[in-house]
Amino acid sequence: MLSSLPSSFRKHGLQADVRTLLILRKAMQKGLVKTLGDLHNALKGIVVKEPADIGPFTKAYYEYFLHVPIAPGQTLEDAILRSETFQKWKTQYIDEADKEVDLSEEELVNTFLDQVHLTSYDIKEVIDGKEIWDKDNPDLEDEDPQEIDGQPAERVLDKMADYSDLTLEELLERMEKVKDQQRTNHSGGSHWIGTGGISPYGHGGAAKNGIRVGGQGGGRMARKVIGDKNYFPIDRDAILNDNNVDAALASIKGVIEESAIEKLDVPHTIKSGLKRGGLFIPELTSEKNEELKIIVLIDNGGYSMAPYVRTVQQLFRKMKTRFAHDLEVYYFHNTIYDRVWIDERRSTYITVEKLLMHSKDYRVFFIGDSAMAPYELSALSIRNIQAIVKKFKKSVWLNPEPLKYWPGTYTIQAMKQIVPMFPLTPHGIERAVREMNSKSTEG
Amino acid sequence: MAETKHWTGSDKYLCDPELAQAFHMARTLGMPLLIEGEPGTGKTELPIHYAKDRGLPLEVYPVGSKSNVEQFVARFDHVKYLRDSQIEILNAQREEKGLAARSTSDRNPENLKDYVVKGPAAIAYSKPNSVLLIDEIDKAPREFPNDLLYALSHRKFIMPESGEVIEASEEDMPAIVITSNREQELPTAFKGRCIYHYIHFPEKDVMEKIVEKHHPGLNEKVVKVALDVFYHLRRLGLERSPTTREILNWLKYMSDIAPKTAIEKIEGLEGIGALIKTQTDMERVNRMIGADNNLGSPSWN
Repeated sequence: MLSSLPSSFRKHGLQADVRTLLILRKAMQKGLVKTLGDLHNALKGIVVKEPADIGPFTKAYYEYFLHVPIAPGQTLEDAILRSETFQKWKTQYIDEADKEVDLSEEELVNTFLDQVHLTSYDIKEVIDGKEIWDKDNPDLEDEDPQEIDGQPAERVLDKMADYSDLTLEELLERMEKVKDQQRTNHSGGSHWIGTGGISPYGHGGAAKNGIRVGGQGGGRMARKVIGDKNYFPIDRDAILNDNNVDAALASIKGVIEESAIEKLDVPHTIKSGLKRGGLFIPELTSEKNEELKIIVLIDNGGYSMAPYVRTVQQLFRKMKTRFAHDLEVYYFHNTIYDRVWIDERRSTYITVEKLLMHSKDYRVFFIGDSAMAPYELSALSIRNIQAIVKKFKKSVWLNPEPLKYWPGTYTIQAMKQIVPMFPLTPHGIERAVREMNSKSTEG
Repeated sequence: MAETKHWTGSDKYLCDPELAQAFHMARTLGMPLLIEGEPGTGKTELPIHYAKDRGLPLEVYPVGSKSNVEQFVARFDHVKYLRDSQIEILNAQREEKGLAARSTSDRNPENLKDYVVKGPAAIAYSKPNSVLLIDEIDKAPREFPNDLLYALSHRKFIMPESGEVIEASEEDMPAIVITSNREQELPTAFKGRCIYHYIHFPEKDVMEKIVEKHHPGLNEKVVKVALDVFYHLRRLGLERSPTTREILNWLKYMSDIAPKTAIEKIEGLEGIGALIKTQTDMERVNRMIGADNNLGSPSWN
């Protein structure tokens, strides 16, 4: 059963493989997994590697272990209410309760979530180990509490260790077994009960004393996660927008050239060595260089570019505040002739000649859709762009136009011949940066 | 592992149960715990308070852009070694002239061990059950996490030049906590070797408890009003959302003022500069106040 876990989780875009299972197994051996809530948290620690994994993980977990598929756009609550698991659980829950169950759907879902996410830590905290742990032995029909001996707290731990040798299959089987036994007994008991062997120590004993069992609110978190896009991966192939601008920023960071080296300071060594009368002691200096020189050329003319200009500016502004100092932005309309403008309204300009005076270490980003009437792309324009690309070896063109329209647009094809062109998406930017980095400014 | 008892925070540190569980799991498995989360969610505080609370030795390695594994584990001080050996020659000459010898402290160039400068990792590994904090690993140069991988996947270090071996048994492994602000993506292989935990930003009720721990005895109403403002600001989607640290500072400022005046001040957004850090955000908030005169009252959420 468990061997299908990696492939099932991978379908949700998560990293899971044999190692995941090995670590999980080790965690079980160490006695870390005793409830489904524990299983959720342990797996989360192993599988989730960034916040954007949390959403898919929650989905994968609910689907795999609880058979609660969560459709895109669906709330967790909705998914639970529609699931067969919940229906079964509900019937059983109502069966087990002695008295009339008078709960709204919402309260039922809350109880369900509390049970699913109940961890052994909660249990330990809430009931201080004692009663319930001691009674917890599925092979014992639990009528016989006399068995309890003196030091419950310690014994609790011993008993907990019992679960540790089990494989997950056995663990689930055991849950099942206890559940069956539970059915023959009274309600409000103290075993793995509930939804087809899902959760232990549910609404019964502990909660009766007025303590809510689902202490840490794992269910609440799961609900929050499903409703929050921050916990889902952003589409890295989507055209740059407000949501993925940070992902783009992360990929564009690769353009920083940073070096920190300890070097032998020859002049200093010689000078101080001579002062010491020929006793040369090496003197070191550390050199740290962080270089990021960027020229951004944005096409802000025409309606086609209007939606993107703001996001692009935001991207580069964020970049400037965070790590770039030599960042210059110029504007053009459709293509570059002999000048580029300094301000957005294109009233003051510098000539391309002047632009070419910049040091060749600058990286140049052209941003534009490169869609124009073919005659606009004149020989002069082509010559100037070629001159820029020749001078600044690390030049790329980022195009917001969807990739599928590229072949149909003549000017895109022509421009692509001159400047390496990439889509204006986080993924495209990453590839552009890689392309830049592969080129040397020398020569 | 000797020190695997579950730790749920101390009277100064409110540990989120999920984090406590992840930390416990990491220690039990002998794997490093990688914590990410917004600034001010208490990532760095966890190991510090844990070590303090349990009375364990703590080694901290603050990562910077020049960090390398040598500093982290151990390096050989070539300069000192050369100096001392030169001084030996010098001393021989001085002796001939009847001058007093220069000292090399208690170091001896014959003994290579004297020139090994141990980093936090080597020190932590040589003390059983210590706590090792690698702070802000995302500040490191690209290759640092990968170099670290090797160090973390073995339980021993070999000291440079001297060849001394520092080894920690599985039982004595230090509790390793790594924090990151996600300024740079860490290599997948590196993450694979860690237990990962992302600290969610605390909800209002948890935040009240955090405030209580830092400023006990602060008027309840003041806290409530301030948190209303705080969470409202966070919802605006500012460029730099205010964090725990900032609300605590703001409340510190308010704690010296009589509750009634303090509430008025909070509602008038006085001293909001403590919460808002960039010019654009400030402009934005000012615009919002202009547009909505009710901003000050708690009714707007």
